[in-house]
Amino acid sequence: MKKLLIILALAGTMSLNSCVDLDIQPKNIVTDNELLSTPAGMDIYLARIYSMMPFEDFKYMGEWGFEYNGWLNSIGIEGTGEAVNRDGITTSFRGERTPYWGRAFETIRDANHLIENLPNYKDNFSEELYNHYLGEAYYIRATVFYTMAKRFGGIPLVTKLIQYPGSTEEMEVPRASEEETWDQILKDFDEAASLMMPKSPKVGYSNKYVALAFKSEAMLYAGSVAKYNQTVSGRLTGLGRKTGVRVIGFDDGTWESASKRYFTEAYKAARDIMKNGGYSLYKKKWSENDPEAQYQNMVDMFSDLSSPENIYVKEYIYPTSTHAFDAYNLPFTFRAPLSSGTCPTLDFIELFDGFDRYPDGSIRVTTGANNASGNYILYNNAADFFEKAEPRLRAYVIFPEDQFRGKQMEIRGGVYTGNTPIKPFFNNYSYSTADTRYQNLDIFSKSPKTLYLSPREGNSQEIVDYNGKQMTAAGAEGPFYDNGEATITGLYLRKWLNPSPDAEPGEGKSSQPFVLMRYAEVLLNAAEAAVELQLAGVASPDGSNLLQVASDAVNEIRERAGAIKLSSNITADITGRNIVRKERRKELAFEHKAKWDIRRWRVNHYEGRDGFWGENRDKNKFSNNENYRFRGLYPFFSTEEGKYFYDARFQWVSSKTFGYTPVDYYWEIPSAEVAKSEFIDQQPNR
Amino acid sequence: MKILQIMKKIKWSGLLWLSILISSCSFFERDNYAEPDVTLEGEVVDVLTGDRVLTDQGGEGIRVRLTELSWGSNVEPNPDFYCMPDGSFKNTKLFAGNYHITIDGPFIPLVRKDASGKELADESLVMDLNGTQKVKFEVQPFLKVEWVDEPIVQNGKITAKVKVTRAVSPVDFKTKVEPMGNYSDDLLNVTDIQFFVSYSSTVGYRARDERWSSSLSYSGKDFDPLLGQTITIVSNGEIPEGRTVFIRAAARINFDTPIGTGTRRWNYNEAKEVLIN
Repeated sequence: MKKLLIILALAGTMSLNSCVDLDIQPKNIVTDNELLSTPAGMDIYLARIYSMMPFEDFKYMGEWGFEYNGWLNSIGIEGTGEAVNRDGITTSFRGERTPYWGRAFETIRDANHLIENLPNYKDNFSEELYNHYLGEAYYIRATVFYTMAKRFGGIPLVTKLIQYPGSTEEMEVPRASEEETWDQILKDFDEAASLMMPKSPKVGYSNKYVALAFKSEAMLYAGSVAKYNQTVSGRLTGLGRKTGVRVIGFDDGTWESASKRYFTEAYKAARDIMKNGGYSLYKKKWSENDPEAQYQNMVDMFSDLSSPENIYVKEYIYPTSTHAFDAYNLPFTFRAPLSSGTCPTLDFIELFDGFDRYPDGSIRVTTGANNASGNYILYNNAADFFEKAEPRLRAYVIFPEDQFRGKQMEIRGGVYTGNTPIKPFFNNYSYSTADTRYQNLDIFSKSPKTLYLSPREGNSQEIVDYNGKQMTAAGAEGPFYDNGEATITGLYLRKWLNPSPDAEPGEGKSSQPFVLMRYAEVLLNAAEAAVELQLAGVASPDGSNLLQVASDAVNEIRERAGAIKLSSNITADITGRNIVRKERRKELAFEHKAKWDIRRWRVNHYEGRDGFWGENRDKNKFSNNENYRFRGLYPFFSTEEGKYFYDARFQWVSSKTFGYTPVDYYWEIPSAEVAKSEFIDQQPNR
Repeated sequence: MKILQIMKKIKWSGLLWLSILISSCSFFERDNYAEPDVTLEGEVVDVLTGDRVLTDQGGEGIRVRLTELSWGSNVEPNPDFYCMPDGSFKNTKLFAGNYHITIDGPFIPLVRKDASGKELADESLVMDLNGTQKVKFEVQPFLKVEWVDEPIVQNGKITAKVKVTRAVSPVDFKTKVEPMGNYSDDLLNVTDIQFFVSYSSTVGYRARDERWSSSLSYSGKDFDPLLGQTITIVSNGEIPEGRTVFIRAAARINFDTPIGTGTRRWNYNEAKEVLIN
């Protein structure tokens, strides 16, 4: 045994001697030589970056941030008012659980690496392709900077590859001012647009018009922030404690010119796409004066990959790359394993045409002057209430008794057995009484009982005898007052859901694409920038008639949506601006856009909240001086008349309140990043 | 039989491994860092009258921010805490060290900087803390809110009378705030009076009952002629009889502290207990 060990030890020492300097590239390490030298290698390099791009789609949740998984994915529940969810994930957009910071710099480094090293392989590609790849790198960097700037204001502008290890001066990059940050974003988008091909060389790649479209969106954000920061107390600006740099907000002397510059760029970019991009609104099934066709057209457009409206799409393929949007958001009876994660609100559908209204503009449910007076209006069918509703709304939202996957949606809040005409259930519908619910009513809990409600589905349903038959109090699709798994507002989401009755239910079974950028947004970007420019007294950058462009854009969208067109051109005032804002709120709902819009308009905190809906609405109707809430629209059945009526009430099931203060317009920089660096500033107003 | 032996072996070897693992991370060493046994007590008083500046306990009240400077120049503040409703604060779990202590509330900011970030004045404290220490901040509150007469209860509604006066003169306010930039006389406008009602004795913005609390709003300089006048304010809704509630009034001006946070803090009067019958 000992001998053996000695022999082995000897053999070991001798074999070490035979080693020479190892200067052969290990075969298992992939280097620039393989990646940056051929189109196939570039596919791999870019695909890796793209998989970590900050795209807000089915794999993103406002409350959690970029975690690149689709767990519980719901859209529009971030206190935007579009929808609410039963869980804690529905909360104001005041920050993300995983802040987009560290990972952002990894992606920036990948882009910078490409910018600095691709020139070594220039001869391997055609000039067009070489430029395109370089353009992709600028586009990626612009996207990451833009994603961060929306969240934090001024950010460290890392525009070159930092060598590691290195000295502190080389490695530490402090936050730039917010204005410098937006200027850099503008520069990078411009560089990308000038380098990239007009059509993507491959599916999934970006192109010139993708860069221009996001440029117009980013510049609209920058212009709005520069302008509307002024409407917030303290002008929402400040200097970093460590560097003295204006890390949030704009200098008193430059905000106005900056705002004009950014709106001009937003307009120019959008107009370039409108003139030269070759995109158009999706109207394959659309036909004039046919609401059914207009509705079907807008249902189809989000899953049709050949849509001429799509500018940038995140595609999914079953079974290798999938999401679970259906699994979390289908109506209750389809649940697999969850359901109804996105319940649209009454406040949201109030934006749309086709409803009777009270003098204050809210949707009419009674014969009186407001929903606390008069008698409930009775309908033969619950669906009659929505008979004239805008086709676009029907394509986004499932109404009570409407069809979905070949099934009629039985949505009913309860059954009323009292006499008709019926007076409103509550004598007070104001914000301060939002926590009084139907189950607190005497007509439900005391004798004589005339209101029947169900805490849960199945055997927990209350039963009412009606015409010799047994009728459950709540519909099969809810709402149930003790179970938030069904609708909690009386409405369900339709947009993005797979409408096919044959679709297999379950997590990881969905493969609908997510449209990250479409032509309708470009039109709305142009319209908003145009009105802002006219308001600021800036001459049209391309000689076009600004207000005409804005009016045409809005009308084009309204025509496709089946909405009422403008009766006269948009004017250069707040009313005109609000027409464009409201159209944006409607058209781009449930696309992760509204939460940024209300942020850049600075209309989320109490003082600015009148403008929350894009149009002017009295904030005291849906908020107190701190928090705000949203309402549902609950259908009830009257056994006396055999008819339906609706009650408009603050969210009845899983009630949620939302809050927002001016501090939230610039999120906290991750505190560990601030604590470990001598240069990274925290937001000065925190 | 064999299995039992093997199991025993696994058990023993497991214990052995565990002790090896534990011993490697100074598990048996005593944590000799001094426990946080320093107590800081403080009060916030009006520099002119010596009265406590009453507040609400919460994010909209008087914020106390401590920064332990012993760690060097690049330090982040300790987690913030807030004054009690009576305008005092107490923290009994601080580590001994050198601290920067500052407060923000409905009074002229203690640390004032101009628009370019240059320091104009700094009335915050830097001190070594050990044992039990008391500090007193003398500030210039914006407003003073006082009760006039006793509140009247009728049909579940409380009618109270309050008087709001300026605790800092407009001239003083301007002298100190104007150099900070963006000054306008509108900053002095009284914007609203709140009437908070709650079952809790710590009634205030955070502990109000939405059903009964009410408020009066004023735009522009509308409130100026009402300064020093008796203002009547009535609660909302109908408070059920048979219990006592607590009430409090508060008023604020159009000026956020600290600047840029958008949080406009209220000056309060003391809470009153009211029997509803």
